[in-house]
Amino acid sequence: MALANWNLLRRVAFTGVLACSQFMMAQAESFRATDLQGRPVERLDSSGSKAVVLIFAATDCPISNRYIPEIARLQKEFGAQHVAFWWVFPNPEDTVAVVRRHELDYSIHAATIIDAKQDLVRMAHVSVTPEAAVFAVENGQLREAYHGRIDDLYFAFGRERPAATHHDLEDAISALLAGRPIASAGRAPVGCSIIPLTLVAPAKR
Amino acid sequence: MRSLRQIAASCVFMVSWTAALLVGTRSTVKAAVVPNPSQTNPTWARDVAPILYKNCTTCHHPGGAGPFSLLTYADAKRWGAQVVKVTQSRYMPPWLPELGHGDFADNRRVPDANLALVKKWFEAGMPEGDAKAAPTAPVYDTTWQMGKPDLILKQARPFTLPAGGTDVFRNFVFPYPLKDGHYIRAMEIRPGAAQVVHHANVLIDRTGSFRRQHPSDWRVGVPGMEILLDAGNTFDPDSHFLFWKPDTPALIEPEGMPWSLEAGNDLILNIHLKPSGKAETIDAEIGLYFTGKPPTKQPMLLQLDRDDALDIPAGDKEFTVEDELTLPVDVQALGVYPHAHYLGKDMQAWATLPDGEKKWLVWIRDWDIDRQAVYRYREPVRLPKGTVLHMRYVYDNSAANPRNPHDPPVRVRAGNRSEDEMAHLWLQVLPAHADANGPDPRLALEEAWMRNRLRHTPNDRVSLYNLAAAFAGEGKFAEAVPEFQQVLKLAPGDAETLTALGAALDGAGDWQGARAALQQAVGSPAAEKQQVCDARFDLASLDLRHEELAAAKTELEAELVACPDDADAHELLARADAQAGDLDGAEKELRETARLKPEYAAVYSELAQVLGQAGKLEPAIVEQQAALKLAPDDADGWNNLGVLEARTGKTAAARGDFEHALKLQPDHAQARANLARLAAAR
Repeated sequence: MALANWNLLRRVAFTGVLACSQFMMAQAESFRATDLQGRPVERLDSSGSKAVVLIFAATDCPISNRYIPEIARLQKEFGAQHVAFWWVFPNPEDTVAVVRRHELDYSIHAATIIDAKQDLVRMAHVSVTPEAAVFAVENGQLREAYHGRIDDLYFAFGRERPAATHHDLEDAISALLAGRPIASAGRAPVGCSIIPLTLVAPAKR
Repeated sequence: MRSLRQIAASCVFMVSWTAALLVGTRSTVKAAVVPNPSQTNPTWARDVAPILYKNCTTCHHPGGAGPFSLLTYADAKRWGAQVVKVTQSRYMPPWLPELGHGDFADNRRVPDANLALVKKWFEAGMPEGDAKAAPTAPVYDTTWQMGKPDLILKQARPFTLPAGGTDVFRNFVFPYPLKDGHYIRAMEIRPGAAQVVHHANVLIDRTGSFRRQHPSDWRVGVPGMEILLDAGNTFDPDSHFLFWKPDTPALIEPEGMPWSLEAGNDLILNIHLKPSGKAETIDAEIGLYFTGKPPTKQPMLLQLDRDDALDIPAGDKEFTVEDELTLPVDVQALGVYPHAHYLGKDMQAWATLPDGEKKWLVWIRDWDIDRQAVYRYREPVRLPKGTVLHMRYVYDNSAANPRNPHDPPVRVRAGNRSEDEMAHLWLQVLPAHADANGPDPRLALEEAWMRNRLRHTPNDRVSLYNLAAAFAGEGKFAEAVPEFQQVLKLAPGDAETLTALGAALDGAGDWQGARAALQQAVGSPAAEKQQVCDARFDLASLDLRHEELAAAKTELEAELVACPDDADAHELLARADAQAGDLDGAEKELRETARLKPEYAAVYSELAQVLGQAGKLEPAIVEQQAALKLAPDDADGWNNLGVLEARTGKTAAARGDFEHALKLQPDHAQARANLARLAAAR
């Protein structure tokens, strides 16, 4: 698929897009976020991407951490099929330094975003970590396709099955790539609440 | 001499876990907070911090077993939403038993009012309040909780838990390295990566059997949820729950109830690990704290068990198994450990007393293997003789059970893998009236337990063996014989059983039958070296008692070729030599015995006797003094020393020895007579 060089950061360019399509939900907002070098991340897709997957995570959330190997597996499975994966850390305490340390500890080798303004949280309509969001890349624009749990390993906070029986994220990506409708949209994920920015006490830390 | 092997026969003991009761608290925090209804909004400093410190921070502190800390206001605020969610659902703190169904010392259920207060605080925006008024945060030590242990056992090799995948159940062997036995008053386990260790059981392998079963891989850990151990030749039932979970750092035994470790024992750490997302290193240490005081109370772990009845159809939402066991003696129940795997749902245990009263032992409505625990009663539960113990477990093998390991559900039976099932209830009991002169009351419990197992599974070899061994231990040899014979029908030619049968036949008065069984054991083609040595020893011992000196000597010499370090065999051979008048031979064998067992007092007394008979009085005195150094309260020993000294003309010393014997034992007739002879000779 040939993609136009459309840049999500260009807020001004947006308005027109918003007006022209009901589908382009994710493009209704722009975002400001940085990578682990502190550089702004300007776009989520790259040349040839068919889909973008965001995994919202927190360095201190045990459930989020437990999914790291599963996400690595999915990334391996779908990476060759032009699906771009991003780890997104939206919590205020997950600074560049904290996340870098964490990625070393957990051997994460994947593109990572610090979503300090929580623009991506709003864009993807997520509320906990871990939670996944999938966007279809259509003519260089992102169309929201799925957000919710990764799978059903956990059925309540800390309570888990011996193994997952429904792989919602995997199914959603497969369906998207195959052009099928996504079956299980919107299942509530189990995880740690994303810390609202309003909750941060400036005096602390 | 080696009477235990003759009397008590062997016990192959089924152990599927093991686990300890008293839990060391790491820090003390003031008693429960009673919320004041007149307050406006609760604050962290005044209301929430005390609740968290009392109920949460033992695990939730930096470096603790909990996945995050709750020590500071910032922590509480970070995790406030989760704290409310998991306490309202009562997922936290971990506590499965229903209120009012067993009164447990380590009850972790937080009062409703406290949980309501935390919720109200969260809804009010989690205000900090006056930070200066907050209680001082507890301090958690990262070193040994009880100070430096007397002995630290280390894992042979570190184990790497993979970052992801399913739970891991693994067994690590920790050989007990000392030559001398010790009583253990407390144990602490430092697993190395607390956050991934869900729980651990420590089993005592008295015979090193697990290491022998896994010669090539015991150092790296052996996978498996449950293991089977050979308990060796003496009746030494498992008696303590050596169970560890993250909030129970030290296992402190009650006064008078230490457990013991002997040379050659192994501790096996049976550990449940949960991957965390990154590879973790498990390099566990076990700290042991000794006491010189031997146990004054002998508890025992009893089991109700219906593994035989577990055949759960796919989709069955309510598959029920029950078991009951009638107590043959008065006991006090000290603790309980229910156990099932992922399909277990509702687990009940209760006791029906002889007068009809129903006492709950435990009730868990929503079993969760991840939070299994040993529950210790606040006060011992008195259960008189004739009480019936009941267990009733319900399993949910439907797709609606989120923990069901099979999707779709399949038929499930009992087994060792986590996707199999189990139906066990362990109860730690203390016999109420142990008569020092009577048989160990735990033998009657063992007998009742094994009869119950055989009711469900009539040809279970381990149960038959243990029942027979219990009979033999109680002196009911005539009842033991047919049970051992039944085991031999299931396992023809089994040397261990033949040896035990020989002992039982001997006890029942059938000397020739005993001889035949022991000879069969010696010649058994499948027998291990040690089993042949045991059989030869018992055969020699039998022959010696029946004055068959030459036969006894032949057996012992043959045994010592295969097992040259068997001190008991050297000692028995010395006795055969002495009876045959070969005092030099006896002396040589006794010196060998003393070399192998230098702390064994009796061998020096025996040497003194042999040397005395040979007329070597001065060397005899030296040996007798050595014996008394090790066993200074032995009245016979002092009397014998007096005789030797009197014979060498040391009259004053001899008088002192006889008087010492009489001080230790005023009715010691020989010492009194010897003293009178000394006086008359003057």
